[in-house]
Amino acid sequence: MFKQLSSLLTCLTFSIICHAQETFPQNGAYDERPGRYAFTNATIVVDSKTTILKGTMLIENGVIREVGKPVKIPAGTVVTDLKEKYIYPSLIDLDSDYGMPEVKRERAAGGRQTPQLESNKKGAFGWNQAIQPENDASQTFTPDAKKAEELRKIGFGTVLIHDHDGIVRGSGAIVTLTDEGANKALLKGKASAHFSFSKGSSSQTYPSSTMGVVALLRQNYYDADWYAKTDKAKETNLSLEAFNQIKTLPAFFETNDKYSVMRADKVGDEFGIQYIIKGGGDEYQRLKEIKATKATLILPLAFPEAYDVADPWDADLVSMAQLKHWEMAPKNPSEVAKAEIPFALTATGLKSKADFWKNLKTAVEYGLPKEKALEALTTIPASLIKAEGQIGSLKSGLLANFIITSGDLFGKDNVIYENWIQGKKFILAPMNAPDVRGTYALTLNNQPSGKLQITGAADKPEYKVIVRDSVKITPKVILSDKLLTMTYQPEKNAGTIRLTGWLSGTGLSGEGILPDGSVVPWTAALSEKYQSVAAKDSTIAKIKETGAVYYPFVGFGNETLPAAETVLIKNATIWTNEKEGILQNADVIVQNGKISKVGKGLSAPSGAKTIDGTGKHLTSGIIDEHSHIALFTINEGGQTSSAEVRMSDVINPDDVNIYRQLAGGVTTSHLLHGSANSIGGQSALIKLKWGASQSDMLIPEVKTIKFALGENVKQSNWGDIVRTRFPQTRMGVEQVFFDHFLRAKDYAASWKTYNASSKKQAANAPRRDIELDALAEILASERFITCHSYVQSEINMLMHVADSLNFKINTFTHILEGYKLADKMAKRGIGGSTFGDWWAYKMEVKEAIPYNAALMYHEGVTVAINSDDAEMARRLNQEAAKTVEYGGVPEAEAWKMVTLNPAKLLHIDNRLGSVKAGKDADLVLWNVHPLSIYARPEFTMIEGAIYFDRKKDEEKQKTMSVERERLIQKMLGDKAEGKPTQKPQATQPKMWHCEDIVGVHTEHETSH
Amino acid sequence: MLKNKFIIPLTSLVLSCVSLIPASYAQNPAPAIAQSKSIFVTGATIHVGNGQVIENGVIAFDKGIITQIGASGSVTSGNGAEVIDAKGKHIYPGIISLNTTVGLQEIASVRATLDYNEIGQVNPHVRALVAYNTDSEVIPTLRGNGILLSQAVPQGGVISGSSSVFYMDGWNWEDAVLKKDDGIWISWPPFLASSFNYEDFTVSVKRNEKRQEVINVFQATFTDAKAYAETQAPNPVNLRLAAMRPLFDGSANLYIRAEYGKDIIEAVNFAKEMGVKKIVVVGGDESYKVAAFLKENQIPVILNPTHRLPGRVDENVYLPYELPGMLHKAGVKVAITYADEWWRTRNLAFLAGTSSGFGNVTPEEALQFVTKNAAEIIGADKEVGTLEKGKQASFLVTTGDMLDMRGNVIQMAFIKGGKVNLDDKQKRLYEKYKEKYGTK
Repeated sequence: MFKQLSSLLTCLTFSIICHAQETFPQNGAYDERPGRYAFTNATIVVDSKTTILKGTMLIENGVIREVGKPVKIPAGTVVTDLKEKYIYPSLIDLDSDYGMPEVKRERAAGGRQTPQLESNKKGAFGWNQAIQPENDASQTFTPDAKKAEELRKIGFGTVLIHDHDGIVRGSGAIVTLTDEGANKALLKGKASAHFSFSKGSSSQTYPSSTMGVVALLRQNYYDADWYAKTDKAKETNLSLEAFNQIKTLPAFFETNDKYSVMRADKVGDEFGIQYIIKGGGDEYQRLKEIKATKATLILPLAFPEAYDVADPWDADLVSMAQLKHWEMAPKNPSEVAKAEIPFALTATGLKSKADFWKNLKTAVEYGLPKEKALEALTTIPASLIKAEGQIGSLKSGLLANFIITSGDLFGKDNVIYENWIQGKKFILAPMNAPDVRGTYALTLNNQPSGKLQITGAADKPEYKVIVRDSVKITPKVILSDKLLTMTYQPEKNAGTIRLTGWLSGTGLSGEGILPDGSVVPWTAALSEKYQSVAAKDSTIAKIKETGAVYYPFVGFGNETLPAAETVLIKNATIWTNEKEGILQNADVIVQNGKISKVGKGLSAPSGAKTIDGTGKHLTSGIIDEHSHIALFTINEGGQTSSAEVRMSDVINPDDVNIYRQLAGGVTTSHLLHGSANSIGGQSALIKLKWGASQSDMLIPEVKTIKFALGENVKQSNWGDIVRTRFPQTRMGVEQVFFDHFLRAKDYAASWKTYNASSKKQAANAPRRDIELDALAEILASERFITCHSYVQSEINMLMHVADSLNFKINTFTHILEGYKLADKMAKRGIGGSTFGDWWAYKMEVKEAIPYNAALMYHEGVTVAINSDDAEMARRLNQEAAKTVEYGGVPEAEAWKMVTLNPAKLLHIDNRLGSVKAGKDADLVLWNVHPLSIYARPEFTMIEGAIYFDRKKDEEKQKTMSVERERLIQKMLGDKAEGKPTQKPQATQPKMWHCEDIVGVHTEHETSH
Repeated sequence: MLKNKFIIPLTSLVLSCVSLIPASYAQNPAPAIAQSKSIFVTGATIHVGNGQVIENGVIAFDKGIITQIGASGSVTSGNGAEVIDAKGKHIYPGIISLNTTVGLQEIASVRATLDYNEIGQVNPHVRALVAYNTDSEVIPTLRGNGILLSQAVPQGGVISGSSSVFYMDGWNWEDAVLKKDDGIWISWPPFLASSFNYEDFTVSVKRNEKRQEVINVFQATFTDAKAYAETQAPNPVNLRLAAMRPLFDGSANLYIRAEYGKDIIEAVNFAKEMGVKKIVVVGGDESYKVAAFLKENQIPVILNPTHRLPGRVDENVYLPYELPGMLHKAGVKVAITYADEWWRTRNLAFLAGTSSGFGNVTPEEALQFVTKNAAEIIGADKEVGTLEKGKQASFLVTTGDMLDMRGNVIQMAFIKGGKVNLDDKQKRLYEKYKEKYGTK
């Protein structure tokens, strides 16, 4: 009902006050008015720290003249008495797309498509369609009456808008939500610069991954800097020019989860830019790391709805992470506030803008201090866009952007009556509406006809007609000012009674038409005044409680991270991988995360925990040389070389496969780029420290890169639609390597010359190229190649390319025909990291044999057995055992293929890979012989901390079901209260193999 | 007592086989020659397949049939019999690998080699039997790891077609087949469907809104098929409906692919209502949730490969490994398979081993998941599945525990009493390159 009313009023005011722009000619007589208003007796909240009681605010011509008490009110001022009412500065949203053109995608995402290697944007712009620094929101801004009204209704007055499209999105503009046209609304163009990890509507193939986006953005910064300084540019590039113009503006980065907040900040750090980062609402899950970014956040208020968990089997679909996030998401702003991380709030992302206050008040119930909430919507956003001289508080000289409310803005029943923008009034609810609540005796045609009961809130009355003593009917009522229309059916199918009338005295009266058409008088006489149920004092309401945060925030996470312990493991069979071989009845001491002693009859250091290893086998942790777990994306397949991308940008510490692999004795994983292109990305070596942050997992000193050969690189199995990218044959692959390494050589030489030059200055510096940087590192033997490879011809080819350009291949991975070239590999000291027994999934593995590892081993190649598969990785001990079955590798040597040998191939055998004093205490205690099919880890330790323990795992499963049931009961409670629910559904990152390209397997579902 | 002069040391036998093979040999070896005289294999630990283990046992067979089996001393000697001394070795029934595409596909990425997925949704009439390629290079690699029988199964559609079970040895499908058209395969529409999101590279699983359409197809097809089966001389002949006739007289299984608890119950109840006599659940990722239902209805389960990840993030990390044991202990007959990962089926013994290592079953019980139970499910337990008198002499001689990589080296294999040539392409390449490098 009020919806209709307020929109009616808006139309009305629009026709009365119509400020024309000064430069615009006027059709008809000019209608300039002073716009001088005074608001008296109000509680004026100037900002979160200053409140004036019974104060006066004077505005004129859209600007605040004076705020305080007393204030001299000049003659000719329209005075409004705001007794018992409040004035707040109107709210500011920094992540708005208000008035922006709709983002249109040129083609639907997904599936295999013909690559588009170049930008579709015509003109002298940059090469990539997702980099659009030239976009200027002030140029494309078109006021949108409907959206402006939606935002005004919830109290917003000003928004920072930008085109939510692309990686570099151009500049933003500050606009008010007035309805007086763009010239009035636009306060400032080029107010901000905007970024994201989403390439938006760009149909260009590159970048196709998050790490590709990071690389593109980094390169763009370097290019812009070079372009600004060099005197050697041979091109005009409007995008780089535009980028240089916006790069000093307040920079906003849109992200959607905690890890992308950190990723964005990392990019900023490289270029000395502190982004203001729009988060995804899950910051509470990694507060420490988020705080360390030092970024001011923009937090959403969209909270997940409860799942319908009534059916226990369907409910199984909902993961612990989903359940817990549902419970904790409303607590996010309060947790961020508690951690003293500065933040603003945004209404963006809400399913309906009408949820804004409901959700904000929920956040307050979960402990968000009201003054923090107010700051986050007023002063903080204003200062972030350097507009505190115009908006964000109620001070003389600022724009008259304010809201009038019935009470405390965050109070349960608060009503926003009016939203004033640049001195123009927008009525949201009638300020002095009559309170009609109460119980009335109803008469129709002078006959008693039941009761009319009006309850609910004063501004949102709820009506019931009670007939025949107890039958309650909900009539349709429109109350507009003092006029009322009511229709209802006293009995089912008995026709509708229509009444129209007005307030008269304490009652109502008017004329009605009965279903038979007879016109009758009606009255409703107040018999009982409305008694409001004593409202609970919400100020002392207890802060709502939630369960604990898990690290990582998934089912098997821990409330506290495992800590390194001093441990004595006694009387075990120890597979040392050293010259001592396999020791019987031996002991190991672990201290400070390192193995401190290996021997017999060792005594426990003080404070040590003793673990009995009798009958059990102790080994160093398994190292998976080829893994794609714990990653958000795998392939940057947009170009034939993506040496510039870094897997360390996309590490996902929440991947449950980390825990699953710990349960299979894996402690270290080499996370590789996929095999979509000849030169892949820079790999990341991580320790599987379940619950730790990305940086605590990463071993940064190991610098490796993925290369690939064969069918994937030449896109043989991608269908006829993918025949554009060079190379499409093995002949072409060779030339890709020559081309790139020759360029890298020149590049490295030009920097060398430049750095040695006495006339070193920015104007003549070579252009920094992060792709060639990585290749130059290979040439300088600082970065090591792991090359995906299958058949002998291509393996031989790459060895010759490397020989001729004087670089080294470190490891051939897969290398299923390594047995055919083992001698050549051994001669060059190239390692082979292979599968136990894979073959037959495509043409290039037709001659793969399970004896491959054994043959390479016998020829003196350092052999590793890897997984390339999240499942196989958790039983790599079994895969290693296959080298014993196929080809008779000695057991101690077979074991090294999943421990010491991968450590060697990764140049980290000084720390990992054997049970030796001084090495990292990455240990696994197996129940039986580790190469046995019956072997399983009793515990898996990394740097002295036990991350997986068989008994604790069983306990954890029990704890999980208790926590799960607690959350389900809570959800069922929500459902019973009639809160909206959603159908259970599970979302999880896809399990990756190296041949997954945009989620589509290149061949058979299980091929690698 | 046995006559010593016939005893051939096993090791020399194996070596001589290998050395006779020229390196350029490009085809699969010739199938075994039919057994011509009685053979005794002595001195081995015999794993009967029903849980029983015979130390120092003897297995005697003639004309392809086991004539005697027992501990040394309990077996009477045969005149003129060949005696193979397998002292220190182990003897196992041949592994039966169900639910595969072995013989129906060769190279996954080469369409011309794929013969398992016919177009159309309702294909009960298409038969794996006639497409099965005994010359597949994958087959010899499987028997080298102990698989002697394999079920070839059409995939795709809602009714995929009919399967047949083959020996891993034979000149052609006619020669190799053990059970022709042993069952019809259907895919029950799941309650939950997953879809890939290209925006954020995630998979979402939610309620399948289109399942009723598929169930309607089943309703119509099965009621029509039943009526057709009751017709004496149907005219016109309907190939689809005719192919389903054996479902209603119990001469063929109905294999229902279903994973989720509700799917399993609904599908089994549907089949029962339709009058299908023999029902097998295939896949069964969540069969443990409905174990009581399966037991009560005596429905066996053919599991997906148990070397898989848990289906849900919060599931016990070892659940897939424990699953066969859980069903077994709950009284449900269970077989493990490698499903459609044809070349990987050679790891079937290791799936069984893992189910014992991580589950609550002994290796002897786990063995049944790939031998006895599989034979019973396909209705071939009179011929194969265990090593008992009167059954076919289809068995393996291994160096040790077949379920463990460390003992899985197959030294001899017999199919219906015939000595199988265990050579394969991969071994030949191994020999070829050992020769190149001069390694022994």
